Amino acid sequence: MPASTAPDPGEVPDSDLVKRCQAGDTRAFDVLVNRYRGRIYAMTYHMIQNETEAWDLAQEAFIKAWRALPRFKLDSSFYTWLYRIAHNVTYDYLRKKKIQGDGEFDDSRTEHKVAAGAEAVPRGDDSPDTQMKNAELGDRIREAIAQLSPDHRQVIVLREVEGMQYEEIAATIPCSLGTVMSRLFYARKKLQELLKDTYENAT
Amino acid sequence: MKTPPEDHDLIRWLDGEMNAAERERFTSRLDADPALKAEADLMQRLSTDLRANLPAEMPVPFGDFFNSQIQVRIAQEELSENAGSTKQASWLDWFRLPGFATISTVVAAVIVAGVMILQQPPTAASVVLSTYAPSQGVQVSSYHSTDAHATVLMLTGLEDVPADRKIVGYHIERSETDQAVAATTLYGERGEVVLVVAKDARNQPRLLAAANSRG
Amino acid sequence: MKSLLSIALFSMTLIASVPAQTPAPPPTQPLPVVKPATDGKVWGALVFATNEETSTHSTEKPPANLADLPKRLGKVFAYKHYEILGQHLQDVFREYESWVVPSKDLFLKVDSKGPAEGGGVNLHLQFWRDQQVLVKTDAVLRSGSPLFIGGPKWRDGQLIFVLVLQ
Repeated sequence: MPASTAPDPGEVPDSDLVKRCQAGDTRAFDVLVNRYRGRIYAMTYHMIQNETEAWDLAQEAFIKAWRALPRFKLDSSFYTWLYRIAHNVTYDYLRKKKIQGDGEFDDSRTEHKVAAGAEAVPRGDDSPDTQMKNAELGDRIREAIAQLSPDHRQVIVLREVEGMQYEEIAATIPCSLGTVMSRLFYARKKLQELLKDTYENAT
Repeated sequence: MKTPPEDHDLIRWLDGEMNAAERERFTSRLDADPALKAEADLMQRLSTDLRANLPAEMPVPFGDFFNSQIQVRIAQEELSENAGSTKQASWLDWFRLPGFATISTVVAAVIVAGVMILQQPPTAASVVLSTYAPSQGVQVSSYHSTDAHATVLMLTGLEDVPADRKIVGYHIERSETDQAVAATTLYGERGEVVLVVAKDARNQPRLLAAANSRG
Repeated sequence: MKSLLSIALFSMTLIASVPAQTPAPPPTQPLPVVKPATDGKVWGALVFATNEETSTHSTEKPPANLADLPKRLGKVFAYKHYEILGQHLQDVFREYESWVVPSKDLFLKVDSKGPAEGGGVNLHLQFWRDQQVLVKTDAVLRSGSPLFIGGPKWRDGQLIFVLVLQ
């Protein structure tokens, strides 16, 4: 489950707002948008690393949620449900971009290269992070994440930003637990590789 | 791709997915294996840095606009759905007409009128009843923004005003109309004449700025 | 002042008579002899919406009852700053056209069709850019509920026309 969704005392509960939305009350939906837009936008931003596209995708997610609300049975929290919609919208967008970008993200190399027991920080002559040397750590991290494949970026955001457990990640993607672990492992190895200079210079 | 179980152990340990017994066993392994310990430390540090630098919530740029655009799109979708269902009903009516089967070809002409019937905003609000844009390529849409308590008429497809053009604004406080010649004189804050509005032979407005006006 | 008006009107006559090929002007409607009655007062403004602060150095301010105008515009348009380039307070004449001209570049012709049911005034509006009508619209304008017209882009921003029944 994504980070806590407990409402503040005195706040109208999500479930009440959802019921009002299901009766066609767009003002109730506006309250839900206000409540969750910052978190949905953070997710789309971390996934896309582009303000404009992240803004559009977050908006698209809310529109899709509005369309799907009549079928929402409140069998999970509204935010969990909304997050999955936003996640799917963003992931689909990234996949399409990857196809159009003709192999922009190439994690397969890393996955094969990084074997169990391999050097924790693989060394290579053509390190992709040479341009990041002067950037702040936050910028370097964001740039590194932008170089991950959609699959790897996805698990990093679900785990490190949303703090989801493996089973929740598996249900959100959806995929097997083994795939979650595998992707998390290789995504982190790839990030280590991309941030190699940062960590070496810092030690 | 299959990941070796020891790598699974490493990240399960890192992410707190181990039970107490598994955790104890893995900690012993870390103590005995400096390379594994170094790997674990690095991964832990990366994880900490990621969490510190990737906030779970971020301010949405132009948040009010974000919300109002969602409301606009919802309203537009509902309008088009209603229009769609009306259109479908009228086509079904055609099929019900006696002798329809003998019609071999149906030529449908769709005339797009620039008149839009809009969703009813709150009663105290201004309302746009109809719009018409004479120029080709200019589209008009209209909606009520409850956030801004305003009615919005949005024109798209307009030619940009050249960047080097100086837009001159006036401050007009009152007007006088000369009914004999159908011209209106517009006065500024200090009672000075700013502008005269009249019509030319083609009934188009002609604006003549006073020499001392900002225009 | 009177001489300026005379010169202006003389110029108008010239403009009207120069193009020999243009059709004859339409018959003039008989005009009321007294000052036309009014159906209210409108405030119109041309606003430049931009992301750059003080890009035109305009010092125009909205009337006190519209102090929150920039905030309200911000809920509709995605810009950081809203500068009033020009403004015009105008009587809305009954059965006679009125002009709202905060700028020569973008201005409004207003024809009143009388008071509206439920308050406000029924208007026929024409939004002009130089010699071209951009949009014609029938609208009910009610006080406290401005009409925002999203106009053309200019420089890094957009020109917006605001019309409010005072």
